[in-house]
Amino acid sequence: METTPIVSMRAITKRFGGVTALEAVDLDAYSGEVLAIVGDNGAGKSTLIKILTGVYQPTSGDMDLDGEPLVMNSHSDAIEKGIDAVYQTLALADHLDPAANMFLGSELTTSVLGFSMLDNARMRRETERVLKERLGVTLKSLDVPTESLSGGQRQAVAIARAVYHADLRVLVMDEPTAALGPQETARTLALIETLKAQDLAIILISHSLDDVFAVSDRIQVMRRGQRVGLVKTAETTREEVLGLIVGGAKAA
Amino acid sequence: MATTAASTITIKERIDPYLAILGPLAMIMMILVFMGIAEPARYFRLSNLNIILLEAALYLPLAMAMTFVITQRGIDLSIGSIAALTGIVMAFAIKSYGFPAWIGVLIAISLGATLGLINGLVITKFRVPDLIGTLAMDLVYRGFALVLAKGLVLARFPDLITDIGRGRLSWFLPIPVTIGIVTFLIGYFLLKRTHFGRYSIAIGSNPEAAEMTGIAVDRYKIYAYVLMGAAAGLAGVMLTGKLNAIQATSAPYFNLHVIAAVVVGGTSLFGGRASMLGSFAGVLLLSMMINALVTLRIEFFWQSVASGVVIITSVAFYTWLQKKDRDGAKGIMAALATPETTKLLRLVGLLLATLLLLFAFGYVFSGETVPSG
Repeated sequence: METTPIVSMRAITKRFGGVTALEAVDLDAYSGEVLAIVGDNGAGKSTLIKILTGVYQPTSGDMDLDGEPLVMNSHSDAIEKGIDAVYQTLALADHLDPAANMFLGSELTTSVLGFSMLDNARMRRETERVLKERLGVTLKSLDVPTESLSGGQRQAVAIARAVYHADLRVLVMDEPTAALGPQETARTLALIETLKAQDLAIILISHSLDDVFAVSDRIQVMRRGQRVGLVKTAETTREEVLGLIVGGAKAA
Repeated sequence: MATTAASTITIKERIDPYLAILGPLAMIMMILVFMGIAEPARYFRLSNLNIILLEAALYLPLAMAMTFVITQRGIDLSIGSIAALTGIVMAFAIKSYGFPAWIGVLIAISLGATLGLINGLVITKFRVPDLIGTLAMDLVYRGFALVLAKGLVLARFPDLITDIGRGRLSWFLPIPVTIGIVTFLIGYFLLKRTHFGRYSIAIGSNPEAAEMTGIAVDRYKIYAYVLMGAAAGLAGVMLTGKLNAIQATSAPYFNLHVIAAVVVGGTSLFGGRASMLGSFAGVLLLSMMINALVTLRIEFFWQSVASGVVIITSVAFYTWLQKKDRDGAKGIMAALATPETTKLLRLVGLLLATLLLLFAFGYVFSGETVPSG
C-alpha cells in the first residue's frame, strides 16, 4: 500500500468570497484502499470532495493523478480522468428500470437504417453483467422500476453507473449509508470491500464512525477547513478520532 | 447481496405495469355494460362505432404528444388555440392565396411546431411556470386567430383536407383513425427507443438527477412542446377537414379533453410515469363516454362536466393507488372524528347553510320577475 498515491492533493485552499472553506489541505488516496474522511458539519469535507471531482476549482494548491498534474474544469473532466462520485441522493430516476438508470445520460445505441436508437437489450445485458461481475449483486428482476428496489440495491445501481467506466480509478462515496437500515448498511459496506478488492481507490465520507471503522484503512479528520488528523484505522480508537473531530483539548 | 428467485415477484408487481391500461379498460367495460342496458340499439351500431372512432381520431395525435409533456411534469393548455390558429392560417393560405392543399397542410403542422417552440422557450428560457405560460400563450394564439378570421367561418376545402379529416381508405379504417394510430406507433417508438423518450421519463421522475447525469433538460422539454405543437397543428388540419369548416372559436375543449384522456390512461401528472397504450385507451374511453351522452340525448354542455369529473376521479384514484399505507387507521368514522376533519366539516356545514338561507330568503322576498331580453 505504501507506494505512490494514485491521487494526491497538496495545500488545497478554497475561498468563497471572504470565507475560507479549505486552508492548505492535503489528501492522498491509494489504489485498493479505503480512505475515510470524517468531520463535523461545515468542516470542509464536501468542498474538498467537490474539488477532487471537478465540481469546484481550488483557489490555490495542486493535484496530481498518477504523478501527472491534474487540472479539471468540470465534473465531466473528472469522470473522463477516472474520478467519479456516488452522491447520497444517488441521482436515480425512480420510474426507470435499473438498466435505464445505469446508462442514464450515456445510453448505448444501435443504428437501424441510419437511425440511431436505444439498444435496450444490450444495456440490460451490460447492467446484469456489471452488477454481477463487479459488485456481486443479482437483482430478482431488471424489468421493475428502480423505486421498487431496496436501498442497498439502488446504491448498487448508482455504483454500477460509476464503475461501468472502464478507467474508473477513484470513487468518492458521499454518505452512502445515511439513509439505510442496519442490514442495507452491511450490504453497502460489503460492496465497498468488493470495490476495494478491485484496486479502486475509495474515498468514503461518513458521519457514522461505525461504518468508518468497519471498512476504512485510514481516516482523515477535518475540522474548520483544515486537516487535523490522519490516522491508520488499525492503530487508532474511536475516542481518539472523536477527539480530533470535536477538537479535544486543543480546541478553543 | 442474495440472489432471489423469480417466484418471489408478487402479484402486485406482476400487474403493476398493466394497471394503466386496466383502469381505462374497466371503465370502457362499464360504459359498454351501461349502454347495453340503457340504449343498446342505437349505441351498438356500425355507424355509431364509426362516429366514435372519428371523434377519437382527432384527439389521438394530441394525446400522444401530451403524454410526453405530462411525463416531463409539464402541461400544455394552449393546444386548442394552436389547432384553431393553424387551421385558420392553412384555410387562408389555400382559399385566399391559392396555395396547393398539401403545402397548406405542411404549413399548418410546421406552424404548430413553431408555436410549440415558443411555448417551450417561454417555459425554459423565461422561466414562466408551464401552467401560466401556456395559459397566457393560449390567449395570445386565440387572439391571433380572432384577429385573422374575425367572425368568419371558412368553409369548403379541397379533397385532400376533407380526406384527412373524414375520408376512408376503401379497404381499411377511416383515414383520420389511421393517422391517429400511426402517430401512436411513432409515439410508442419515441418513448421506448429514443433518447427523447428515455429522458422525458427521467426529467419527470427526478429533474435533479437528470441534470446531474448531464441531460440537457431544457432542450428535451422544448422538444416535447414542439412535438405537442406539431400534433396540435395536425389536429387543426384534421378538425378543418372533418367539419369542412374552421373558425376562430373552433376547438374550445381540446385542452381538458386531451389532458383527461392522458391522465385517465395512467400517465401521472406528477411526472415520470408514462403509458402510451393507456393514453390511447383514454382517448377511446372519452369518445365512447361523450358518444354515450349524445346517444342518451343528454345536453352537449354536460360533456364539459363529464371531462372535469373524469380528470379529478382518475388523478385521485391513481394517487390513492400510489399511497403506501392504503389500509389507513380505523375506518372512515375515525377519520371523520379527528379535530382537523371536524373543523372542515363545520366549514362545509356553514357554507351550505348560508346558501340555503339565502335561497330561502330570496324566495320569501321575491317580487316580479324581470325578463332578460
